Amino acid sequence: MSTSAPPARTPARALSPIFPKRPSRSRLVRGVARHILLILVLFLVLYPLLWMLSASFRPANQTFGTLGLWPSGFTLDNYRVGWNYGTLQFSKYFLNSLVISVLCILGNILSCSLAAYAFARLEFPFKRVLFAFVLGTLLLPYQATLVPQYVLFNHLAWINTILPLVVPKYLATDAFFVFLMVQFIRTLPRELEDAAKLDGCGHLGIFARIVVPLTIPAIGTTALFTFIRTWDDFLGPLLYLNDPNKWTVTVGLNGFLDTTGVSAFGPLFAMATLSIAPIVGFFLVAQRMLIEGVATTGIK
Amino acid sequence: MIATKYRQTRRQFGIAAGVAALTVVASACSGGTSVGGSSSQSASGKVEGAIRLSYWGSGKRVELTNGVSDLFTKANPGVKVTPEYTDFASYWNKLNVQATSGNMACVAQMQGRQLNDYASKGLLIDLEPLIQSGKIDVSQIPKNVLDTGRGTDGKLYEIPYGAAYDSIMINTTLAKQAGVGQPAADWTWDDFQAYVKKAQAGLPTGVKAVNLGGGLPNYFIEYVQAQGQKLFEGSKAVFPQQTLVDFWTMWESLRKGGLTTTAQEKAAEAPQTEQSFIANGKVLADNKPGNQLGQAQGALTGAKAGQQLTTVALPSGANTPGTVLFTSGFSIPKSCNNQATAAAYINFWVNDHDANMLFSSNNGADTNQKELQAQIDNPKLDPAVKHMLSLFKDIVAKNPPTVLYPPGYQANFETEFTRAYQQISLNGASIQNTAKAFIDNLNSALAAAA
Repeated sequence: MSTSAPPARTPARALSPIFPKRPSRSRLVRGVARHILLILVLFLVLYPLLWMLSASFRPANQTFGTLGLWPSGFTLDNYRVGWNYGTLQFSKYFLNSLVISVLCILGNILSCSLAAYAFARLEFPFKRVLFAFVLGTLLLPYQATLVPQYVLFNHLAWINTILPLVVPKYLATDAFFVFLMVQFIRTLPRELEDAAKLDGCGHLGIFARIVVPLTIPAIGTTALFTFIRTWDDFLGPLLYLNDPNKWTVTVGLNGFLDTTGVSAFGPLFAMATLSIAPIVGFFLVAQRMLIEGVATTGIK
Repeated sequence: MIATKYRQTRRQFGIAAGVAALTVVASACSGGTSVGGSSSQSASGKVEGAIRLSYWGSGKRVELTNGVSDLFTKANPGVKVTPEYTDFASYWNKLNVQATSGNMACVAQMQGRQLNDYASKGLLIDLEPLIQSGKIDVSQIPKNVLDTGRGTDGKLYEIPYGAAYDSIMINTTLAKQAGVGQPAADWTWDDFQAYVKKAQAGLPTGVKAVNLGGGLPNYFIEYVQAQGQKLFEGSKAVFPQQTLVDFWTMWESLRKGGLTTTAQEKAAEAPQTEQSFIANGKVLADNKPGNQLGQAQGALTGAKAGQQLTTVALPSGANTPGTVLFTSGFSIPKSCNNQATAAAYINFWVNDHDANMLFSSNNGADTNQKELQAQIDNPKLDPAVKHMLSLFKDIVAKNPPTVLYPPGYQANFETEFTRAYQQISLNGASIQNTAKAFIDNLNSALAAAA
């Protein structure tokens, strides 16, 4: 006589879902409602951008006067006119912005990662105080240092060159990125560095062969944020670049405006639309790295 | 041994690099930046070498300014003029930073409302001696226009070359529809109120007779002038408190009577002329600079095809015109190292016939009366510009008052005035109390800025 119990009936829910259960009507309604709400919010957020895009294709006399997104007349004139409007030359401005942005990215990556490695791994006198001092600079608004910086650069005869915009990036002056990388490097296992030391690696060797390859997500985040900040910066190029041939895209866009004269809004919107393309492209390429970098450093 | 030596070398290198860096910083900081600067080349020198020219503007104005500079360099071989320009708002941000480090351009554009912020700090040279020595000829500029370039100390710091003025911009199509036509040229503020009351009755739904103007500083400045009163004396606001109370009471009466845009609508109005209510057919009348007629008309044609705009002079008082001139001109900073060339450039700009015909009053009506007439007589001149110049000529003929704006005016009057009126129109604050608080705060701030 078998005493074995009959096999327990497997609950229906645990069966493999060959025919997945249809969601209940209320869940379906809630899901649809949630998506409609999200789409509406997304539309609200994107509306200014879409309006700008739409305005960039409208004829000059229809730039304003409608909140609608569908242009009643379609023209590419704003792009054609805006690219070389008056004395403005956007091919030059895009190139200038790109050169400055690339140099700033390289500077920030190099200097901030070196500084971060020092703060995260090396022991030296006043390390904590110095790190607090670096972080303290985050509290200083840009406007507070604007004039002293300008006076300094003026004495160095750097006005009307890209040096004031680029050189500080090679001195680890962006404390946020130093902090970001310090946080990231602190998460790396020290054993890797210890093993490298046993193999005869010095600090620079450890930095170059161990730390940098493992810090790629944080470096990517630094690159992306530096690019966005530099590409969007208006005040710095406005103050330091006097010669219109050296202008960046943001200063060039400002060249369409004049509150006391005639502003060219159609070409402005066309060039503004083009100006955001590199940022969107860069973000799409580096999106995964950005999220990984931010998530793993605990900075949210 | 080798390692120790290597470490020592590295340390020495580090110390040397640190000392070098400190030396660079110290040498950079020890230059003794003189904000005012001292002229290394006086105005009596030769017209030669390079100068920087800074101004606000974009598009066509940049091309015209470059054209004038080209004419100047052609007339003065060996001279180079390097332009620096940006839009009006950014211009002052940049100029402020340049001024603090003694790096203003040799020819710096100024406006009466900001002039004394720089003149009172000793940044600009007195131009009177250059006029006396014949380096700058101002014989064709009317005295009351020239006086708008004076500081509160009476010295001349700016040679005005273009005069802007406010006007009442009227949608003539809507005015005709409402049965009011255009106001009389010599209308008063009482006529103004009667005009908008009558117009509102005949306007289509959703269109207001006038844009709410109680928070517009220029309206008030012009209202004070029409009462025959002074706005400032030295660094003190001297207009009676009752005048401000009367001004705000008038606007509140119009607003509450449904004759104006609402306070919320006015607060949300975009600053650009092209987006303004008058340029989109939403109001019949508004206070706008006379030189913005062309761009407002362009926007209105796009928004309400067929509607037409014109400008008329602001309401006046019994014996005093209500229009105030806002001049733009050129100054020379003390830090300029080529004052002779800067003076020659300003003189050329103001007096050269070809330069004036080329620039053609692009930044306010030409202050040189001979050149102004030549432009009005030019058959090729745009009708909107011709209208603007003719109206300016009429205004100057009435000898408009000169307003000297004290240091700190821009920072402490304009935004605060708008904010104070919003307290009344949006929050229901008492007109009496708000007027008193505004004047008290203004005088404290102006005294501090003096």
